[in-house]
Amino acid sequence: MTALKLLSRTKLYWGLIAIFLIGVLGSPVSSKGNNIFLSYGNLLDVLRQVSTTGLIATGMTAVIITGGIDLSVGSLMAICSVVCAMLLTVPGVTPGVVLGVPTVALVALCLGFVVTRFIFLNVEKSRTGPDAAARDVKLDSVRGLVTPAIVGVFLCGLSLWYLLPQIEPKFGVLGVLLVAPCVGLLFGAINGFIIVAGRLQPFIVTLAMMVTALGIARLTAGQNNAVLPVYTGSNATADFEMLRSLVFGVIPMPGLFFLGAILIYGAVLRFTPFGRYVYAIGGNEEAARLSGIAAGRVKIATYAVSGLLAGLAAVLYVAQYRQGKPDAGAGLELDAIAAVVIGGTSLMGGRGSLIGTFCGVLIFGLLSNILQLHNINSNLQLVLKGMIIIGTVLVQERNAGDLLAYLRLPGGQPARKETAAAKRPPQETPSLNLGGNKK
Amino acid sequence: MKRRDMLKLAALGAALLTTTALLSTGNAFAQDKKWKIGFSQVTTIEPWRAQFNKDIIAEAAKHPEVELIITDGEDKTEKQVADVENLIRQEVDALLVSPKESAGLTGVVQQAIDAKIPVFVLDRNVDTKDYTQFVGGDNKLIGRAAGEYAVELLGGKGKAAGNVVEIWGGMGTQPAHDRHDGFHEFTDKEPGIKYLLDQQSGDWKQDQAYNLMANALKTNEKIDLVYGHNDPMAYGAYLAAKDVGREKDIKFIGIDGLPNEGVQMVNKGELTATFTYVTPGAEGLRQAIKFLNGEKVEKTITLPTEKITKENAAKVLKDNGL
Repeated sequence: MTALKLLSRTKLYWGLIAIFLIGVLGSPVSSKGNNIFLSYGNLLDVLRQVSTTGLIATGMTAVIITGGIDLSVGSLMAICSVVCAMLLTVPGVTPGVVLGVPTVALVALCLGFVVTRFIFLNVEKSRTGPDAAARDVKLDSVRGLVTPAIVGVFLCGLSLWYLLPQIEPKFGVLGVLLVAPCVGLLFGAINGFIIVAGRLQPFIVTLAMMVTALGIARLTAGQNNAVLPVYTGSNATADFEMLRSLVFGVIPMPGLFFLGAILIYGAVLRFTPFGRYVYAIGGNEEAARLSGIAAGRVKIATYAVSGLLAGLAAVLYVAQYRQGKPDAGAGLELDAIAAVVIGGTSLMGGRGSLIGTFCGVLIFGLLSNILQLHNINSNLQLVLKGMIIIGTVLVQERNAGDLLAYLRLPGGQPARKETAAAKRPPQETPSLNLGGNKK
Repeated sequence: MKRRDMLKLAALGAALLTTTALLSTGNAFAQDKKWKIGFSQVTTIEPWRAQFNKDIIAEAAKHPEVELIITDGEDKTEKQVADVENLIRQEVDALLVSPKESAGLTGVVQQAIDAKIPVFVLDRNVDTKDYTQFVGGDNKLIGRAAGEYAVELLGGKGKAAGNVVEIWGGMGTQPAHDRHDGFHEFTDKEPGIKYLLDQQSGDWKQDQAYNLMANALKTNEKIDLVYGHNDPMAYGAYLAAKDVGREKDIKFIGIDGLPNEGVQMVNKGELTATFTYVTPGAEGLRQAIKFLNGEKVEKTITLPTEKITKENAAKVLKDNGL
């Protein structure tokens, strides 16, 4: 029941059901008389095809909810795919290793700080009284540096202990799954840091990162082998096949990663303080900050996760297409943003959900699938896609009546009496109040 | 409120359904065709690819028993893989693929082979040997022909001398490397030939080649020959030279020789020569039909190149009805 409630709150399943019904009713029949659209294989294809975009869109959703945007995800995916392919195929110290291993160490170190700071924060909260606070400040200056450093060095050593022996013989799937997302995380964190610390527009910063990262990806790949093929059959890549296979013969691995990311990040956004802060910042950043939310850190975290998921998407990309290359993921940021917006997340920030994004990604994927199965002229496909996206969003946002009313067409009734500006009442971001009440 | 939404939704759905239904009525007539052949093309916005599609459609028109489905990969590996997956689901009788890259398409080609669909790989190969046939031009061969002619233009074997500008296609693509390697097999033997640019890519595009050449013209007093990895880039270089009034001192060589592109440029005297890179569309479809009718086909078919200069350009144009 709760799940249904969640779905109905997002309003989105309307679009998804509509597209699905169109697919079923208009399903073409293959030359051997099989119904193509509803066939198990076809639906698996769709899930696998959308998983890369889906992972990217997952990270993008939180970023957009905070009122930002991440244009760099495609390029970050490109870097990570190049690093990933290098680790898998080229033995010895490659640019991929040079970029990857220190990154993992650095990320581990930062993680050490974050983890211990988090513990300290809780300790501080449990104490009360003005004396305790004063004492904490003194103690903090010592413990606040020493303990995180110890934990960080430990984590760092652990990761290097695992990674370094793997450099000479090529990296296995676990090493790659560790390194590529870390590289993404690092670049994402840099994005967030510049946006927050430099107080710049996310659009500008991530646009710059998009270009920079593309250059780094090309430099890493080297001019002459811009496409790094990962052949199957070689020992190092045998495990890698796993990432393309069906899990329990039911669900493709990339799809599982996508669903997992949606569920985990979705739970984080909905049920944790961090999630509430994300919505609060998107609703009104100034108010969020005044109510004691560390807006900067939360924002950095959303960009870092966006980068992390781009790195994960890169691993799946390499597994699916057996190659890493600097133009992997070109234009992917727009697909991801489109899916997020179709999913009901407002580009103004403060409103949206990952279930919505999940529906948005599937709407996009099913749409491409249906049009392609009907062999519709590819240029016409683009036109239809654009029109159907607008149509879907109009239906979902219940603004179709407004549009018709504006055009003075029959059936046109404004969905609400309020004007467009007043249409987003503050209660749509209840998290803001929650965040405020806490302090 | 709810009911109105439902109505809107129903209306939208019905509209979409009619659109898709109308657009796919072509399929209804296709039932009596004997063979359903799918062709996955990389992109349609590049002149050579457009000619490729034109050739294969013209060939399909000669075979009434064949229904040809062409998909457009929009120049993205992801899209093309999805296209091929769709064609497999449609259970086509034969699959023609012109891959964007070898590595990226290998997996899905293997998938088609596993589904017992004969696969004809066109233009660029894949990293598996299980396909039915490969049809394509040999870029190295064409590069060699261009290199041989360049040496001839610059003074002949053993005494050729001059400054050469080479404009690469995409750095990461095999055709660019093959066109480079073949060319240099001849020109590297000539000590008199100097290369002015170090691996500069015009990314197969006329505008980028124009900018490259404009810079090269500024920094080099003497340029004797420009070798563009395709005709649009050679033409871009020609335009750059023309804009500074130096086009008469320079010879321009391109590759591809499309009737309404390179051949026209040669005929107008803008390019000195071009070398045809025949599209494998028509031949690939003929071979696929041959295979479906039970005949044996060779594993590899290499399409020949032809040198087009001022002498034979007019005739080639006439043959193509231009």
